[in-house]
Amino acid sequence: MWWRRTLPAVVALLAVSGLGLITVGLTAEPTRPPRPPADAPTRSRPAPDLAPLARAAPVRVQIPAIGVRAEIVAVGVDAAGVLEVPPLDKPTVAGWYRHGVSPGETGNAVLVGHVDSPAGPAVFFDLGRLRAGQEIQVTRADARVTTFTVDGVHAYPKDHFPSGLVYGPADAAGLRLITCGGPFDDATGNYVDNIVVFATRTA
Amino acid sequence: MKVSTALCSAALGVGLGTLLLPGAALADTVVSPATTPVGGTVVLTATTCNPKSGDVIFRVTGPNRDENVRSTTAAAGGGLSAELFTAGFTLGTYTVAATCGDGSSAGSATFTVTPIGGAPAGSGGDNRDGRDAGALAAGGTLLGTAAAGAVVLFRRRRPVSTVA
Repeated sequence: MWWRRTLPAVVALLAVSGLGLITVGLTAEPTRPPRPPADAPTRSRPAPDLAPLARAAPVRVQIPAIGVRAEIVAVGVDAAGVLEVPPLDKPTVAGWYRHGVSPGETGNAVLVGHVDSPAGPAVFFDLGRLRAGQEIQVTRADARVTTFTVDGVHAYPKDHFPSGLVYGPADAAGLRLITCGGPFDDATGNYVDNIVVFATRTA
Repeated sequence: MKVSTALCSAALGVGLGTLLLPGAALADTVVSPATTPVGGTVVLTATTCNPKSGDVIFRVTGPNRDENVRSTTAAAGGGLSAELFTAGFTLGTYTVAATCGDGSSAGSATFTVTPIGGAPAGSGGDNRDGRDAGALAAGGTLLGTAAAGAVVLFRRRRPVSTVA
């Protein structure tokens, strides 16, 4: 019968395929987030003549260039003074640093999001792919949508985080997006770098 | 670190004031650094106050604070200065307004209290231990199926025994 001749081949194929998948499973390299080029240009643009907005919490962020459309929750700092991030079981949510200004106010508003979680890539996984000139839209609780244009994307070691550039005062409305990047340190369970996107309000 | 400075009045106003009051000098207040992680120290300096005129009062106002810091310490570059320790400060931007010992305003400046360091915004991904659970499960299923097929083959090919 035909199956007597083909069954051994099918069994052998299944065994080889199974062994191959197990080998792949045991030696898989983790999916690593994109890293901005070290020489990524920073576009210095004159701030357009836009009247600053009143304070209103952001509720949604959209970044069409990398397919981000995420809800935003307010975050603060933990007991050690480190910036909080949304819980890992909500990897698709971004956080707004509520002690700073809101998007559209004069100053730099700060949004933070996970690069990945145990479930895989998270909301800001592709932040390192953003380039100068691409747009970010933030919807606020007052229903206004503010548009920011990327000035630059850079990676910084966490122990040399540019706090002044991220949280410091500014004369115009800016936006800072933060996530993790660079090599993953298995000993500490953390990425070594932070990826920071610098953007200026343009509409 | 960038130094934040705020002049007490516009350049024109200062110029007129200097003309009207020949003894008056350009007064300003400097906070260095302009941003500090919470718990850090900033130095407040009223650069043009005369130490001989008495203590300088720095009024610090911000998200959870309205306090006066008194200085009797002459600054190396002129004026008077005081250190401000930011432990317990709510994060945000604070304004420092200085008044010289003679009662004149020495202007104001701002500084920002920030979180410490960067953000812990990643877990290492879905296979950070170097194992892809999906591939392992699929491989195990295929191997199990192959084993079951081998058993069937083995039984079909075994010679039929006869009972004596």
